[in-house]
Amino acid sequence: MRLAGFYLFAALVALLPVVFPDNYYVTVVGVTAFFNIMLAVGLNLLMGYAGQISLGHAAFFGIGAYVSAVTTVRYGWNPWVAMAAGLVLVWLIANLIARPILRLKGHYLAMATLGFGIIIHIVLVQADAFTGGPDGLSGIPGLVLFGWHVDSDLRWYVVAGAVMLLYVWLSLNIIDSREGRALRAVHGSEVAASTLGIDISGTKVRVFVLSALMASLTGSLFAHQQAFVSPDSFSFFFSIELVTMVVLGGLASTFGAVFGAVILTFLPEFLVVFEDFQMLIYGAILMLIMIFLPRGLFVTMADRIGPMFAGYFRQGIRET
Amino acid sequence: MGVLLQVSGLVKAYGGVRAINDLSFDVKKGKVFSVIGPNGAGKTTLFNLLTGVDTPDTGSVNLDGYELVGRPPHRVAACGVSRTFQNLQIFHNMTVIENVMVGCHLRGCSGLWSAALRLPSLLAEERRIRTWADEALAFCGMEDLAQARSSELSYGVLKKLEIARALAAKPRMLLLDEPAAGLNDTETLEMCELIKKISETGVTVLLVEHNMGLVMDVSSWVFVLNYGSCLAQGTPREIQRNPQVIAAYLGGETGIE
Ligand SMILES: Nc1ncnc2c1ncn2[C@@H]1O[C@H](COP(=O)(O)OP(=O)(O)OP(=O)(O)O)[C@@H](O)[C@H]1O
Ligand SMILES: [Mg+2]
Repeated sequence: MRLAGFYLFAALVALLPVVFPDNYYVTVVGVTAFFNIMLAVGLNLLMGYAGQISLGHAAFFGIGAYVSAVTTVRYGWNPWVAMAAGLVLVWLIANLIARPILRLKGHYLAMATLGFGIIIHIVLVQADAFTGGPDGLSGIPGLVLFGWHVDSDLRWYVVAGAVMLLYVWLSLNIIDSREGRALRAVHGSEVAASTLGIDISGTKVRVFVLSALMASLTGSLFAHQQAFVSPDSFSFFFSIELVTMVVLGGLASTFGAVFGAVILTFLPEFLVVFEDFQMLIYGAILMLIMIFLPRGLFVTMADRIGPMFAGYFRQGIRET
Repeated sequence: MGVLLQVSGLVKAYGGVRAINDLSFDVKKGKVFSVIGPNGAGKTTLFNLLTGVDTPDTGSVNLDGYELVGRPPHRVAACGVSRTFQNLQIFHNMTVIENVMVGCHLRGCSGLWSAALRLPSLLAEERRIRTWADEALAFCGMEDLAQARSSELSYGVLKKLEIARALAAKPRMLLLDEPAAGLNDTETLEMCELIKKISETGVTVLLVEHNMGLVMDVSSWVFVLNYGSCLAQGTPREIQRNPQVIAAYLGGETGIE
């Protein structure tokens, strides 16, 4: 029963391209939504559950994407090796900065992660000998999975969808475990958590590194799917967009992050004004949610509707 | 019975204020050791020093051969010290049972990866943790509330929840910071029984409490703190009759008989 929501979601993801084959919104925008979900789910572990804000999450996404792009385009590396190299690099960087950064709290943490994101963005723009500078890097090869070329929208839907579901599954598993409770305890009360034997900084570092690795892998997939990367995709604005996704759905809810990512992926597709006023709209969403629905849209709705189902399930259990 | 905790020469100053001023005392194994004293005497500060939440300027805290000073709180906890807080520190983002399961943290060992992949070893540990947490809840008479959200509970119940959570760690020594503060008469009686019951299981209890009836009822030793120093210590009877204590703290009419 723990994973009922997950199976339902997985079934939906699997059925969509069957019901709507060759639909732009499913196999093209859908894949972007999957990438955003992957990033939001990872960020939610750090921000929603452990309560550590990051305004620089796009940086890890960018590092993963650029390591894949640069090593495959310029040095002809195998994409899988490139992906692993991205993970190793992100693992190193995340471990290096996590301890000093996560000692900070509140605004200070926000500023430090913001600074980190900006630095990485500048590196991507300035190191043009490798990264191609502001123009980006094109000609990134596609992925080949045991001889199976991931070369169509539908195939990318399958690959990204599978990895996305894996992320959701991992996140649900982590939250409902000793380590996941430790994360939430650190958020709830650091002093109580530490006197119960939880290593506060160790716990924060682990989840920071995990969410960075999740972003890096997403970045690598993104680079191969787009066949092109440019620094614009990994700017401070995208970090804010990710935070907005997590907050919109509801902090500390994996499906809240999924929901927020889906909404913010599809909204610009349907609202043309979005293009011009993107940042304004994100700002407004953040403010409105924080003021009126601090627990997020998804979580608030789920709490209203949930009890009806909960009653139903409880009855079911009693009868058997 | 031997000594479990030896405190010697403990000093902690905040700016110019010596909140703890050269304290030395022993706590016997399996007994209820109470620390009383007026507001601002340094009782909570003492608990913070004993649990690693704060570091003393000088002095040592020895738990059965382990030096606790200099260890971060989670390592002190690993030595078998557990506590509750004067101002509640409940994990409001979790259910009651999850709060108590956090208390079992030190009794488990599974990490991030086994959790992510939900390995069989993790599932077995989860079941054990759940059983321990259920036991701790039942011990505190809260088994019906396992699935409740902590935000739905009354103050008195939250006080008990903190104790259940601390007990779930299976501590050798439990520090209770004003467990009866804010409780009504019935709840205070229940708390009194709970403390006795905890002590009967062999856990050494350090108690800070303003309710003298409760202190005199459950304690086997009372330590009177005044401006960070020891004013007197002894059995409850001795303390009740100590003229210095009566003058400085208890006053004429505190209801201790
Ligand atoms: N973190 C701190 N910074 C500065 N001063 C502090 C700090 N913690 C405690 N103090 C001071 O130390 C003294 C002892 O405070 P403490 O909280 O230990 O008293 P207490 O005995 O627990 O009182 P109460 O019965 O009101 O809980 C007080 O004068 C207090 O102002
Ligand atoms: Mg106090």
